[in-house]
Amino acid sequence: MGWQRFGLHAVLVLCSVVMLTPMVWLIAATIKGPDDLFHYLFFPSPSRFSLYNFRQLFEQIPYVRFMINSLFVAGATVLVQLFFSSLGGFALAKYEFKGKRLIMVLMLTTMMIPAQVMLAPMYELIYAMGLVDSYWGLIIPGAVSVFGMFLFRQSMLDLPDDLLQAGRIDGCTELRLYWDVVLPVQRPMIGAFCLIAFMGSWNNFLWPQIILHSQERFTLPIGLNQMVGLYAQEYGAMMAGTLLAVLPVVLLFFLLQKEFISGLTAGAVKG
Amino acid sequence: MNALFFRLQHRYAPYLFVAPFVILFLTFTLYPIAKSLSLSFYITNGPKSQVFVGWDNFRFLWGDPAFHRAVWNTCTYALTSVFLQLPLSLGLALLLNSRLVKGRNFFRFGFFSPHLVGQVFVAVLFSVVFIPKFGLLNRVLHALVGTAIDTKWLGNPELVMPALVLTSLWMYVGFNMIYFLAALQSVDRELYEAAQVDGAGAFKQFVHVTLPGIRSVAVFVTVLSTIGSFQLFELPYVMLSNTAGPDNSGLTVVMYLFQNGFIAGDLGYASAIGWTLTMGVLVISLAQMRLTGTWKRED
Amino acid sequence: MKNRLFSVELPFGKAPALLVLVTALTGLYLFFHPVETSQATLRLWTFASNHAVPYQKAIPSFETAHPGTQLEVQLVHGDAVNSRLRAAFWADLDVPDLVEVEISRAGSFFRGPAEDVGFIDLMPILKRTGYYDRIVQTRFAPYRNRGRIYGLPHDVHPVVLAYRRDLFEELGIDVRQIRTWDDFVRIGREVSVPGERYMIELSDNNAGHFEMFLFQRDGGYFDAEGALIMDNEVALETLLFFIPLVAGSERIGSDLGSSRLFTQAVESGYFLSFICPDWRSKGTETDIPRMGGKMALMPLPAVRAGGRRTSTWGGTMLGITKSCPDPELAWQVAEHMYFNKAELAERFRETNILPPLKDAWEHPAFDEPRAYWSGQKLGRIYADLADDVPPQYASPFIETAKSKMAGVISSCAAYYRENGREGFEEFARARLLAAAEEVRRYIQRNPY
Repeated sequence: MGWQRFGLHAVLVLCSVVMLTPMVWLIAATIKGPDDLFHYLFFPSPSRFSLYNFRQLFEQIPYVRFMINSLFVAGATVLVQLFFSSLGGFALAKYEFKGKRLIMVLMLTTMMIPAQVMLAPMYELIYAMGLVDSYWGLIIPGAVSVFGMFLFRQSMLDLPDDLLQAGRIDGCTELRLYWDVVLPVQRPMIGAFCLIAFMGSWNNFLWPQIILHSQERFTLPIGLNQMVGLYAQEYGAMMAGTLLAVLPVVLLFFLLQKEFISGLTAGAVKG
Repeated sequence: MNALFFRLQHRYAPYLFVAPFVILFLTFTLYPIAKSLSLSFYITNGPKSQVFVGWDNFRFLWGDPAFHRAVWNTCTYALTSVFLQLPLSLGLALLLNSRLVKGRNFFRFGFFSPHLVGQVFVAVLFSVVFIPKFGLLNRVLHALVGTAIDTKWLGNPELVMPALVLTSLWMYVGFNMIYFLAALQSVDRELYEAAQVDGAGAFKQFVHVTLPGIRSVAVFVTVLSTIGSFQLFELPYVMLSNTAGPDNSGLTVVMYLFQNGFIAGDLGYASAIGWTLTMGVLVISLAQMRLTGTWKRED
Repeated sequence: MKNRLFSVELPFGKAPALLVLVTALTGLYLFFHPVETSQATLRLWTFASNHAVPYQKAIPSFETAHPGTQLEVQLVHGDAVNSRLRAAFWADLDVPDLVEVEISRAGSFFRGPAEDVGFIDLMPILKRTGYYDRIVQTRFAPYRNRGRIYGLPHDVHPVVLAYRRDLFEELGIDVRQIRTWDDFVRIGREVSVPGERYMIELSDNNAGHFEMFLFQRDGGYFDAEGALIMDNEVALETLLFFIPLVAGSERIGSDLGSSRLFTQAVESGYFLSFICPDWRSKGTETDIPRMGGKMALMPLPAVRAGGRRTSTWGGTMLGITKSCPDPELAWQVAEHMYFNKAELAERFRETNILPPLKDAWEHPAFDEPRAYWSGQKLGRIYADLADDVPPQYASPFIETAKSKMAGVISSCAAYYRENGREGFEEFARARLLAAAEEVRRYIQRNPY
């Protein structure tokens, strides 16, 4: 039993080391000066730590602007998605209405169609709407998350009908019911969805790459991909930019860890 | 409040609630899909000049070696995702699910954390991990097994795909493990006890209790990874500094679509590629669902 | 429960509250710091930071000479120039008045009906002003299409060989003995140590270096008439010569990647020499200043004794877009940036890039000895080779051809690594032909 336990942990520790090494390496790379970057594999002695890479990053690249753009786009996208998706999910979970089945089928197909096939006409459409090179061109097409609708439908199925009925008797309209009764009990799912949607929007690359033209509007993924090669041909600055770009997601994750794991798996396990 | 209003708002509320989805579906899914179907019969040089060519785009696609390469690469990647990555994820989940494990949450976070980095940033990170002579991988491998320190992972057409697979393993193994772990934890412990009473060994327990118990999750994860694999783009594109890699060794179907439509400016050909991809993905995921009998259970 | 006293009740949990906060704050910031719409009367895009900086310095003198004009120079990533310009031409968006385009990208903008090309034809004005005859003729080739000239050449980009003078001396290599590539390869085999030291930096997976060997032999992707020649005998001969330099046991070349990786490897002695167009000499100076006085330049070895001692790598054109409301004024910007001799000389000191305007080379700046390059007259070395620079002809399919050629290099190198000389010639021939056929398929498909 003892050996078994030891072996098990040895394997797990080994796996974790493999998984975490690149990240440690990333962190190490950000605090090394240009001469030390490739000289030391990981950390040099603390006296050699340097902020050179971060200075490069902030001086050569409008990094802060990218960060603000990203935060705004991701924040707005998630909030809009959260509202529309939970609303849609609520309708699908708790109402009987004509066309419900059709909508479920449409949602399934949307999930299976690769979004890339729509890129070209979407670009024309966004152009016709005058939204090329704007934040709205990113937010509006993604305003409803089909995945989110499934997620909320799944978790709202368990809502007791009596609860809703009681609300109606108290004179709540359906919208009020959704806002005051349904949403507050969905808190864990809301947390999970926020993180999932935030990651999706935060890492979005192809669509922003196509419709954003002004450097001042770039989000982090495009900004980092383009700017690092343009101004600072420095691996250190590139690593620093990557590290900072990951931080918001990590923070959000730590805040929502519990909800996230349960939300991520809820849909699948209940299936 | 007016009773009539109350009744009406109750009746029409669900329609109002799904309206955003429907509107968005019509404008940003149905219309573009239909439009891209019609575009796929034109050769375009930007939206302004278009020439109708009938089935020519598809004929050209059929005999286009670069497209073949893209399909080959994409399928290779998809197959390794399903047959290499998922078993590893399941293996890790099984280890973590053992009752002997201490610090499960730590390990779970450790394995999962690469996924927080996000594709583009992972690609930036690994483009540096793979550099010859100074990169992390070469230095570690050189020290451990003595491979050449100047191995060009991203410069040698034979090594690009392994490099991609390695990167995606790092990024997704832990992510998929979360699903498997949750599924394993939801399997009824009593079933194992019953099996033990029947004298079933560890392997028999795995086949007769564990596998059926996690079946639906396994199907879900498989379909999801397959669809995801077929849409591979950011990882190779950013990692190979916005190219398809040496001898197109990192070219994927979506990258080829992007190159043709948004770099060369032929939206028609790009649409033809997109439709071919859509058909492929639909057929494969429907086949997967049918094979595993999930389709019927959806409603 | 105590905690509750201090925490605000959040009906939907922490996440939405946090997101509302973040969105509101960033939204406010963006509202008060909107993207400035350009007030400039003329805008110029460039993709190279070493172009942008001198241009920006030249703005005041232009604006003084043209009162009422406001000129803006914007640095835009090469890929973005490509996609933004294309999107802009399609949709009449926000097009700059002047734009610099990279040589291998230029051709793709000449696709489609001639009247749809987004650049104006510069031929008339070049003839009228007499500049046409004062510029290195071969540099018009990449920007010429169907009898029109859509771009003004920014550079000549002759190439020479840069080498570690200190290491060459240590190893007893006498550069005067190197006249042809055969000489170079013979010596290279003696001094190269796999994994540790290579005679020269050469890539086995992209066409960048290969091209120079091809151009040096008067080969190319397209001929002057625009016909595809990437699979002719010259190309095959070049390929058969080139691949053994980068693959197999006797290779004398390797590569690590671009920018810092490359210069670090020069500093560490991993590369003894490298092919050095004028622009690259500056990158070397700034990246590895410690190599000052240890580097030197020499003309490229010839293919055959007495043959051409240079080739070419890279290039940029300046085009005036059709949407520019005042092409005459835009031309004056071009003139100011490209043909002002005093500024060109100053810029040469900053960038080491030889301008294509031949009479500019009389300026003393081009005869200054450079300490970094062991006291050599860098400008004169490049200028003396400029007239020998081979032409690169344009085609809308040049990018396709280049990427297919890169594929040929990769796969031939892989074959050679595995099998050596055995059957290599047949393989190379077949691979070259197949690549060319792929390009021809694209060309035949073009309805314009």
